[in-house]
Amino acid sequence: MTTFAQLLFAGIALGSVYALVALGFTVVFRATRVINFAQGEMLAFGAFLTSWLVLSGGLPFWLALVVGAGVTAGIGLAFQALVLRFALGRPDFTVVMLTLGLAAILQSAIPPLFGSNPRANGDPWGASALHAAGLVLNWVQIWSIVTAVVVLVAFYWFNRSHFGLAMRAAAADEEAALAVGIPLRRVFAVAWALAGLVACIGGVFVAGFPSTLDPTVGNVALLAFPAIILGGIDSTTGAVLGGFLIGAVQELTAGYQPQYLSWLGHNFYLAAPYVVMILVLLVRPYGLFGSRPAERL
Amino acid sequence: MTGLAVAARVGDAPPSRSLLPKDARPGWRRLWLAAIAVLGLLLPFMVNGYWLATAVFVLIAAIGALGLDVLTGRTGQISLGHAFFLGAGAYTGGVLGGRYGLSAALWIPAAAVVAGILGGLVGPTALRLRGLYLAIVTIGLVFIGQHVFVNVSYLSGGPGGEALPVPRFGRLNFATGAHVGGLFLNRDGLYYYLALVLLAGAMVYVSNVGHSRPGRAMSAVRDRELAAAVLGVDVARTKVTAFVLSSMLAGLSGALYGSFLGFVVPTQWNLTLSIQYVVMIVVGGMATVWGPVLGAAVVVGLPALLQNVSGSLPFLATGTNNHGVLTVSDASAIAYGVFLIVFLLVEPRGIVGLGRRFASLGSWFATTRQEKKADGVNTD
Amino acid sequence: MNALEVRELSLRFGAVAALDGVSFDVAAGELFAVIGPNGAGKTSLFNLLSRITPLSSGTVRYFGQDLLAFRAHELAGAGMARTFQNLGLFLPLTALDNVLVGRNHAMRAGLVGSGLRLPAARREEAANRRAAWEALAFVGAAAVAQRPVGSLPYGMQKRVEIARALAMEPRLLLLDEPVAGMSRGERGEIAELVGRLHADTDTTVLLVEHDMGVVMGLADRVLVLDFGRVIACGTPAQVQADGKVVAAYLGQPLP
Repeated sequence: MTTFAQLLFAGIALGSVYALVALGFTVVFRATRVINFAQGEMLAFGAFLTSWLVLSGGLPFWLALVVGAGVTAGIGLAFQALVLRFALGRPDFTVVMLTLGLAAILQSAIPPLFGSNPRANGDPWGASALHAAGLVLNWVQIWSIVTAVVVLVAFYWFNRSHFGLAMRAAAADEEAALAVGIPLRRVFAVAWALAGLVACIGGVFVAGFPSTLDPTVGNVALLAFPAIILGGIDSTTGAVLGGFLIGAVQELTAGYQPQYLSWLGHNFYLAAPYVVMILVLLVRPYGLFGSRPAERL
Repeated sequence: MTGLAVAARVGDAPPSRSLLPKDARPGWRRLWLAAIAVLGLLLPFMVNGYWLATAVFVLIAAIGALGLDVLTGRTGQISLGHAFFLGAGAYTGGVLGGRYGLSAALWIPAAAVVAGILGGLVGPTALRLRGLYLAIVTIGLVFIGQHVFVNVSYLSGGPGGEALPVPRFGRLNFATGAHVGGLFLNRDGLYYYLALVLLAGAMVYVSNVGHSRPGRAMSAVRDRELAAAVLGVDVARTKVTAFVLSSMLAGLSGALYGSFLGFVVPTQWNLTLSIQYVVMIVVGGMATVWGPVLGAAVVVGLPALLQNVSGSLPFLATGTNNHGVLTVSDASAIAYGVFLIVFLLVEPRGIVGLGRRFASLGSWFATTRQEKKADGVNTD
Repeated sequence: MNALEVRELSLRFGAVAALDGVSFDVAAGELFAVIGPNGAGKTSLFNLLSRITPLSSGTVRYFGQDLLAFRAHELAGAGMARTFQNLGLFLPLTALDNVLVGRNHAMRAGLVGSGLRLPAARREEAANRRAAWEALAFVGAAAVAQRPVGSLPYGMQKRVEIARALAMEPRLLLLDEPVAGMSRGERGEIAELVGRLHADTDTTVLLVEHDMGVVMGLADRVLVLDFGRVIACGTPAQVQADGKVVAAYLGQPLP
């Protein structure tokens, strides 16, 4: 039972990171109807930048995090203002590809800028842990859960606020939103900035789990896709729940699969979220909580 | 139809299939094609070994790009799973050609067939999924595929990878080269002509499909799926057909690629590879026959070019990265991202689209001069 | 046999009834118009008949068969063709290719035949091209057959769409506002086109339209909908004289 609880805790901690990443996706999608395939690389970029600021720049961790998040938010903002703005009204495919273009650029900019060797992510906790109830609870994991909860609560309030309402209106109908005076450009910019912010925070924590930061950290966001799909792209609650679910699936699979289902191969936990996602989609093509977009004939 | 035929105006003759739009002149097109064909045939004798190898990679990739274009460019199904089908083709070749030593006349087509079958199995998932959801599922396909490739050593040689066979057609073994006519073709030269023939065949085939019933169905599904259904187009069948054809070409390309490369590892069939193929069709021009070829030339050719000139460019380094140094592969990847963004925003029809813009500009000049000469001729 | 027999057709979205207990017959070969103020349910009716929208209740018989047993993509094969209010054309394709898509369901060439250009496929393609060409000629769009439809003027696009529906050699043709957004002259031409079609073939035509002049001049019988209900059904003359119809369009006179 301890093993289960341990794995579950790890799953929730990992899930909190996925939830943050999923949130980043959902924020952008709900405001702009765009799925940001570059979310993972924004996460990686933010994480590397923060780490570099701590290790090479000598900044204290929290300051580095703030700066890193700010820069990543700036990248999101810049991408929206300089690229996506000109792609309004284009088909899904175009926008997907544009974000993939950003992903490619960010991914390949990391090694020249920060070097590609694995390194510590700069957090102050390292491998220190809290021992309670027979479980080993890494501080990194604890803090990631705490941070995720804080961010989620903040987002919940934000969503309820005037601006959050503006974002939802902009996503629902751009023309109507313009007609009632909603500043679309600002709304979109904020959405992307938030996505960058959240990506950086998520990135820093994700790297804390194996305690090393290497360029493949961007793949984490790819694992977050099943989370948002399960939850449904346009549902924040769904995305967050999906994040926790996927985190739990992954950790539990990593823990139990080699023993009980070894025929599924080594490291099946990497593919497991996608398998789960595909199975769910076969039954519910728009995710567990997502809704079918209307098509006008 | 007799009622309509009676009611139609007398004297309207239906155009034959080969009637080209007004602004294309058949003579020029034939000339261009002939020139390209001659250039293609003579290339191995005109360039050094480095560029010949690059050309082979370009031709092989073009086959795969043509396949992706069928699925994404013509049928509108966003797929980031191309790497999976490439890998499937490569490993089919590896098993049949390498492990069982079969002739290339068997394992090359088999690679296409096996990949096509896999495409046919994946295809039905596209039926219920739209755009973004489909894209994400295809990403999942790549991950699951990598997982299978890594774990099933029988196929892939395990995480360490394996060597793939060199084509052997009876006594003709690509590894040893061959004498054709009075000329000697080495390994690369033989690969080149094989790829050239297969690419040319694929281009003709895809062109035929595009101009006929299945191609029209694909375009209809891409443009307005619901309207297509109401018109009686079997949307499900069209999508699955597109997946099958696309995967077959990917399998063919993957088998040739793996074989030419010589050694493959399971982790190379990754999302980055899929994205490179997307860049090829976007930069080259979607839903055209030459677009994927041009795109392949750009995507494959750029790193080769950069590698060649990296000595003279101070900020470029060769080899693997340590810190703060821009490698050829990173620079290329950044370039791909930039190309993708720029082309999508500025010229979504790719290089082919650019070419058409220039061509129509040229014919605009020509026709306005003509109209000034011949007064009173009123054309639409 | 009647082309259509509609009984108690209803389409509800929650508490809103787009169609409520609609019943009517369309005789084979007649030109039957459906009119009514905006929001009366006309396009809903078409979408229902095209099996795009599922109905809430009612029955529809199509040439004696249960229409509800068909799925949307099976209707083309059963002889039903329609045009769309918002133009269902495939903009990057040429006019000729658009029309040919309409004939897809009747053709058989697949990847093998078309890709390899086998003789049977080539014959089929040539025959269907001729048929598509004739349809375009009938609507007066022959000259633009090779132009991408997206580059054509609106009036010509509508003609191409009609040609596409005609090329499907339908038994029942649904025309959804064929003259919407057109100039006066164009309206006359399209009306003449539809009239010619009705006179020269035995195609049953179901027409939704706002333009009274067009409707009254062409239709054999007219169905008037208001708020999803049938308020009149008869010859143009009967319907025009019907007080309920006048009230629906113009409102009740002030006391």
